[in-house]
Amino acid sequence: MSEKKIKKINILYLLGYLIIPIVICAICMGISYFYFPKGNGAVILLLIPPALSVLWWSFGGTVLFKQKTKKFERELEEKGFSRNHTFYGRGKTVIIDSQKGQVGFVFFWNPFDAYLVDASRIEKCWVDDGKCGVGFMEGSSRVSFLFILDGIKIRVDTFTSNQRFRMDSNYILTGISKADMVVKTIEEARKKAKRQ
Amino acid sequence: MKTLRKIRSFFHDDWCSECTDKMEVVRKQLYMLPMTVGHYVSHQNASYYIKNLIKVEKKKDIPVGYYACGIHWYRCLKCGHQAVKLSIFLPVRDQEKQEEVFFFEKGEMDAFLLEDRH
Repeated sequence: MSEKKIKKINILYLLGYLIIPIVICAICMGISYFYFPKGNGAVILLLIPPALSVLWWSFGGTVLFKQKTKKFERELEEKGFSRNHTFYGRGKTVIIDSQKGQVGFVFFWNPFDAYLVDASRIEKCWVDDGKCGVGFMEGSSRVSFLFILDGIKIRVDTFTSNQRFRMDSNYILTGISKADMVVKTIEEARKKAKRQ
Repeated sequence: MKTLRKIRSFFHDDWCSECTDKMEVVRKQLYMLPMTVGHYVSHQNASYYIKNLIKVEKKKDIPVGYYACGIHWYRCLKCGHQAVKLSIFLPVRDQEKQEEVFFFEKGEMDAFLLEDRH
């Protein structure tokens, strides 16, 4: 069980993720300018690092996050954690064991620290249906569930869109149902953890 | 006129497919399906429903995020034809997200519904 404070973002990883590819590209451009102004060397140094950088920004983080999530799930299974509910949100994974009253988290911007915490540390948990607008404009473009853990608000989206949908649309209803289900399971885990 | 009525019967669930007369509801019952939101799989075989439906009295008895199935058992007073309509939906707070509707008209569900009544 992790007692350390939750960190949603690892600043070093975030900066490294964004800046290191830029630095490598700049170094390669410098080498090319001074040592290989023409020929194959220049082509390799000027094309391959930017292409790899774009690939890293597009897929690297997602692949790493998925790998770390799978590794964490394997570790939990070895510990006898029964996954009552696993929610793979955008950039966050929440795994709940309502029998033991424990909740596991993996964050996209902090994939190297997976957390397994006692559910009693969750202070509050609720659903935000994102309802806004009035009259015929009433609707939502995001449904999520939120909870406060160690004073930090964590939001996990169950539905997002760049359009606003009516509150009775299938997308919104599915998002609300998913969020309601997770919140109910977290509440059960909290009750169990408080009883222990 | 008969052809027109036949076409109109496509839009009326409670019209007999044989004689297009209005059918009476013999029985209505709500069930829970052991499938959660995001994991819905369509089943067109009556045997799946016979095996998996769990009888509930009210929508509130269905746990959050689980699918519900409303059954209407119809009988035509004119020709005696019977049909069972299964409406699968996801109850979300005070609303319902309709998933699918199936009709079984060859008596596939009759034994289950008769057994379930007692």
